[in-house]
Amino acid sequence: MKHYDAVVIGAGNAGLTAATALQRGGSKTLLLERHNIPGGCATSFVRGDYEFEVALHQLSGLGTEKRPFIMRKVFGDLGVMDKVEFVQEHELYRIVVPGEIDTTLPASWTGLRKKLQGDFPAESDNIEGFMKLCEKISLECFMTLPRARKANDEAILKSTCPNYIKYGMRSSKDVLDEFFDSSELKTILAAYWCYIGVPPKDMPFPDLAMLIYAYAAFKPWHIKGGSQAMSSALLESFMEAGGEVRFNCGAEKILTHGEVEDSKVRGVVTEEGEEIACEAVISNASSIITYNELLDHDKPPIQVSEDFKSRRMGTSAFVIYMGLDCTPQELGVTSASNFICSSQDENLVHDGMQTMNDPVAGMLTCYNFDDPGFAPEGKSIVSLVCLQYGDMWKDIPEEQYAQTKYDFAEKLIDLIAKTFPKIRDHIEELEVATPLTMMRYLNTPDGAIYGFKQNPQDSELFRERIEAVSGLYMAGCWNNMGGFQPTYMAGESTARAALKQIKSSKLNIQQQQSTSTVQVKGNKESDNA
Amino acid sequence: MPNSTLDKNVLNTVIGYQEAVKVKQELEKTGSDFTDQKWATANTVAKLHPKRLTLEVSELIEDTATTKTFRLVTTGSELPPFQAGQYINLFVTIEGVETARPYAISSSPSERGYYDLTVKRVEDGFVTPYLLDQVEVGQQLLSTGPMGTFYHNPVFHGKELVFLAGGSGIAPAMSMLKDVLDRDLPYQFHFIYASSYVDDVIFIQALRELADKHDNFKLTEVISRPPEGFDGLSGHLNSQLIQELVGDVKSKMYYVCGPTPFNEYCQAQLWDLSVEPRFIRIEANGPPKHPDQLGNWPDAVSMEDEVTVTVTGKGSFKAKVGEPLLNSLERNGYSAENACRSGECSLCRVKLVSGEVFNPPQAHLRKSDVQFGWIHSCVAFPTADIEILL
Repeated sequence: MKHYDAVVIGAGNAGLTAATALQRGGSKTLLLERHNIPGGCATSFVRGDYEFEVALHQLSGLGTEKRPFIMRKVFGDLGVMDKVEFVQEHELYRIVVPGEIDTTLPASWTGLRKKLQGDFPAESDNIEGFMKLCEKISLECFMTLPRARKANDEAILKSTCPNYIKYGMRSSKDVLDEFFDSSELKTILAAYWCYIGVPPKDMPFPDLAMLIYAYAAFKPWHIKGGSQAMSSALLESFMEAGGEVRFNCGAEKILTHGEVEDSKVRGVVTEEGEEIACEAVISNASSIITYNELLDHDKPPIQVSEDFKSRRMGTSAFVIYMGLDCTPQELGVTSASNFICSSQDENLVHDGMQTMNDPVAGMLTCYNFDDPGFAPEGKSIVSLVCLQYGDMWKDIPEEQYAQTKYDFAEKLIDLIAKTFPKIRDHIEELEVATPLTMMRYLNTPDGAIYGFKQNPQDSELFRERIEAVSGLYMAGCWNNMGGFQPTYMAGESTARAALKQIKSSKLNIQQQQSTSTVQVKGNKESDNA
Repeated sequence: MPNSTLDKNVLNTVIGYQEAVKVKQELEKTGSDFTDQKWATANTVAKLHPKRLTLEVSELIEDTATTKTFRLVTTGSELPPFQAGQYINLFVTIEGVETARPYAISSSPSERGYYDLTVKRVEDGFVTPYLLDQVEVGQQLLSTGPMGTFYHNPVFHGKELVFLAGGSGIAPAMSMLKDVLDRDLPYQFHFIYASSYVDDVIFIQALRELADKHDNFKLTEVISRPPEGFDGLSGHLNSQLIQELVGDVKSKMYYVCGPTPFNEYCQAQLWDLSVEPRFIRIEANGPPKHPDQLGNWPDAVSMEDEVTVTVTGKGSFKAKVGEPLLNSLERNGYSAENACRSGECSLCRVKLVSGEVFNPPQAHLRKSDVQFGWIHSCVAFPTADIEILL
């Protein structure tokens, strides 16, 4: 039987960063991926002249070379900074509510303040105060809150996280209402909720604050060659360090010793039926599938099923990938990222995510707006997205699936065409991905793209470490925030925990071996005596 | 990590934290541990996109002297749906070699009980002689689920459809036509069918009957090698002929499917007529037969040259430069997942550890594949000794 220190199940963002960090950290690691290419969401596909980015809209956390942020260090530690090139977006987004709002926000912290204060002079002081709060609470969440929690010291919390104490558990809507009178201004500032799928009334304020602050201060980025280039770079770094990967080979079972409530990982069975021994399994599959299907027990540990009961299924997405035979300028694109809503009513938008009716909010991302090299000359690559829950797609009879997806695609294009009326005249290639497509390629229940619903209770503050299965680690959005930066970081931090365990178990084995050697010697000596 | 339910948790200082914990406890009371959803994801996906299908030949229909239609049923429930124009990749073992070939489904998507595959003999071929001469009714065959991107996409393909088919390229056309007629779709379907010989025109009787019956279906037969005294249309589908047959050539959607030279010829004719690329859909048809005639083929490398292919950790073998890598791998007992075998689907993607291969333009490589040395083995030609990772 082959033996590895660690087996990573799934080469999504977190699986890739976990595998790379493990192998570079000295653990012999096997990476299993059921598809033929690394990346999970972070992939691309080719149709005709076009290579379509599947999922990355705006990479956060990178910062500029002059003012770097955490992801430069994470990618640097993983050995990929010299393997990929980043392209900075100059706008945060354009948000359009036809007849009501049409505003483009710059990707600059001071520029954002000036733009908002210029457009809403009556709320100038409120804007100032709100932005200060966004900055402070982001820094608290990132720097001081983890320290205060680790110390579990009220005094430290009070002195270093005053804004978090006051605003950390409030909803985004609540805080926006406290600061602003103008509903337009509130809609403009809350637009990023369309990425997350949790309406401002349910979205924890720190989440919105961090999105606004991180993107404006540290810029939104694209990756040359798409997120696939990052996935392939991570894999390259993993392989350079001696890591082994198998494509078209998923995991069938996670093998353990012992009873379900107190078990220990001993290996993995692959899709091909091969049994592989290992000290640790890092699962980049959804936690539901990991515990309910992969683990070799009929039922998950009680702690897991209790945890599952407190969660709700997260959103999936409906995406149209388009190759257009016109330039972004001809299409009327003035910002890479665009939110287009037919109403400012968040309830209407959110309700719409649970039906097949006309979507109320959609996004258009134009990948070659900031760098023409992302599309063939004279052409454009755009994707249209609306978040949508996946469960209703499961009930559609198979033979009606294709027609249903095209019908809904028409509705999403109708919404986007209100702002970009020429879009239908230039389609050269078009692919539609539904929640079932997400289900197919991500193997997530209901095609969820960010794991569980990211309500306040889903946050890491309310999670307990699952300790029932020793040596089993979850890496990905199912017990962390969803999205690119969070999943890249989750994989890396999970690997650190697994490395510690692997190293200590190796140490234990060595100690046991040396102890038993001494004992043997002792026995011999006593024999001699 | 502090336990959220403990009184000592520092987060209790955060305004609203305790209320949020209570909400979580409420959620726990009404939520599910998702065990009722066991295997639901895999089963839902498999209904649409099974990785493999076990099929059985229920009927063999002799269409012409060179062509048979294989009617394939499944032993299980209904076959997965497909979009007219799509193919399945059929796995076969011939003379001990495990290989596969993709074939377009010629039956209607409305027919859920079987798939028809219409296979025309390729004279120097490896798989079609086996299928036509040796496969019998009752035999089981393994395939992929339906795949491919050559189909009518109602979102942007419009309602005026022109299908240019050559020889066995009729298979996807037949399926598309049946789909239009079965579902009574409001499309005009003009089928221009080029064949070499009058006695080798597949499905011609059925097509003529359908054309008589349906106003929205127009059939044009063209024979490239007519017998003496032939009074039908003959010659090649050049731009002039297409213009005459189609009339207003712009803003119709063209589907082209036939042997590679036919596809390339038709594409050039449509370009001559200033039809914009977005109105032209061409089905890929296997690896290039003469990659050495394509641009960027390296100087001083001949198709007949022999190179060594090493599979990391597994072994090595000699192969001809002119043989697609996937084929030589299969002949030597290796395998890679594959489906389109034309460079598009990327399932046969493998890592080139060292050496050089020629990637023809039809290899739909991603930009990062080129950067990190990944190739589509079905259309990659090793132009020097290579090492690959399987």
